[in-house]
Amino acid sequence: MKLFVDLFVSFMIIGIGAYGGGMVTIPLIQHEIVTSRKWLAFKDMAEVFAIAQMTPGPIAINAATFTGFKVGGIFGSILATLSVVLPSMLILTFLGLLIIDRYGKNNYMVRFRSGMQVGVLSLIFYAVWSYGSAAITGWLDFGIALFSFLMLIIFEGKLHPIIVILTCGIIGMLIF
Amino acid sequence: MEKNGFKNSNFNEKGEAIGNLSLASVFWTFFRIGFFTLGGGLAMMPVMRHEIVLKHKWMNDSDFYSMVCMATAIPGAIAVNMAYFLGRRLKGKGGLIVAVFGTILPSFIVILFIAGMLSPYFYFPKVTAFLHGCSIAVVGQLAFASLIFSKSSLGTWKHFIACIIGIIIIGIFKMHPIWGLIGTGMFGFYFFPYKTD
Repeated sequence: MKLFVDLFVSFMIIGIGAYGGGMVTIPLIQHEIVTSRKWLAFKDMAEVFAIAQMTPGPIAINAATFTGFKVGGIFGSILATLSVVLPSMLILTFLGLLIIDRYGKNNYMVRFRSGMQVGVLSLIFYAVWSYGSAAITGWLDFGIALFSFLMLIIFEGKLHPIIVILTCGIIGMLIF
Repeated sequence: MEKNGFKNSNFNEKGEAIGNLSLASVFWTFFRIGFFTLGGGLAMMPVMRHEIVLKHKWMNDSDFYSMVCMATAIPGAIAVNMAYFLGRRLKGKGGLIVAVFGTILPSFIVILFIAGMLSPYFYFPKVTAFLHGCSIAVVGQLAFASLIFSKSSLGTWKHFIACIIGIIIIGIFKMHPIWGLIGTGMFGFYFFPYKTD
C-alpha cells in the first residue's frame, strides 16, 4: 500500500513540475525516480527516456506508465499515469480558467500574455538546441533533420507529420 | 466567442461548437494526436496544428498559438493541457474528459505493450537505427514548430528582443522555464504596443 501512496505522491510532484514540456522535464523525473526513490537504476532510466522519446505521447506520461509498471504492475502504471495528469487538471479547473475568463480581455493581461507567447517561442528554440545536440551526432544526422524540416515546410497541411517521421526512420534503417 | 480569444466559423457567438461534432470524433482526433506524436510536448505542436487548424479547421492559427501559450504557462504536460482547453472549447465538460483521455491512452497502451513484451527487441540494430532516424526527424519537427511559431509571434523588433531575452534566461542561465516565461511576459507588459483585436 505504501508503494502506491509513494507512487501517487512522486508522480503528482512530477506532474506539477513538468514544466516547459518534453526534454525540459527529464532532470526532474530523474531526480524523483532514481535519486530520491531509487525505483529504477540510472541505466534503466536511460532506457526509459530512449523509449519515451521514440514512442508516442508526452514524455512525462510515458515515463510514468513505464515506471509505474516496473514497480507496481498494471495497477501501478494506471495510478502513476493518472497522478501525473491530476495536478494540471486541478490547476486548470480551479485556477487557470478562472484567470483566463476573468482577465482575458484586460489590456495589461493581453500584453503580458503576448510577451509570454514569445517566451514559448524561446522555449521551442531551446528545445531544438537541446534535443538536436542529443540526437544529431554527425553530418548525416544533420542531413536527415534538414530533410524532415524541408518536407514539413513543402508539404505543410498536405502530409501528416507522422509520415515524415516514419520516412526518416526508414532512411535511418537503410543507412545506419 | 470573444471571451477567451477563440473565434471561428465552427463556433456560434456563445462559443459553443456548431455542426454535428460528436464526442466520439473528438476522442478519435485526440487519440490520433496522442498516437502520432513523438518527442512529446512542444514537438507535438505541428501534429496538433495539422489536425486541428489545417485538417478540421476547428480554430485559426492565431487562436491556436494563444492556446499553446496558455497550455505552456500552466504546469503539466503541454499536450494534455492543450487537450483540456480544446476539448472544453469543442464539447464542454464531456469534451475535455474525452480529449484528455484520448491524448493519454495511446502512450499508455504503447508503453505497457513495450514494457511488458517488446523491451528486448529495442536493442536489435535495425530497430535502433529506425528509432534513431525517427528521433532525428523530431529535431526537424521542432525546428518547423519554431518557424511557424516565429511567423505569428515575432511581429516587431521588440518581440525579437523579448525572444532573445527568453533564450538567454532559459538556455544560457539555465534557469527554470517559468522564469523565462515570466521574464518575457514582464517585457511584454512594459514594452509591447497596445493591441486591439
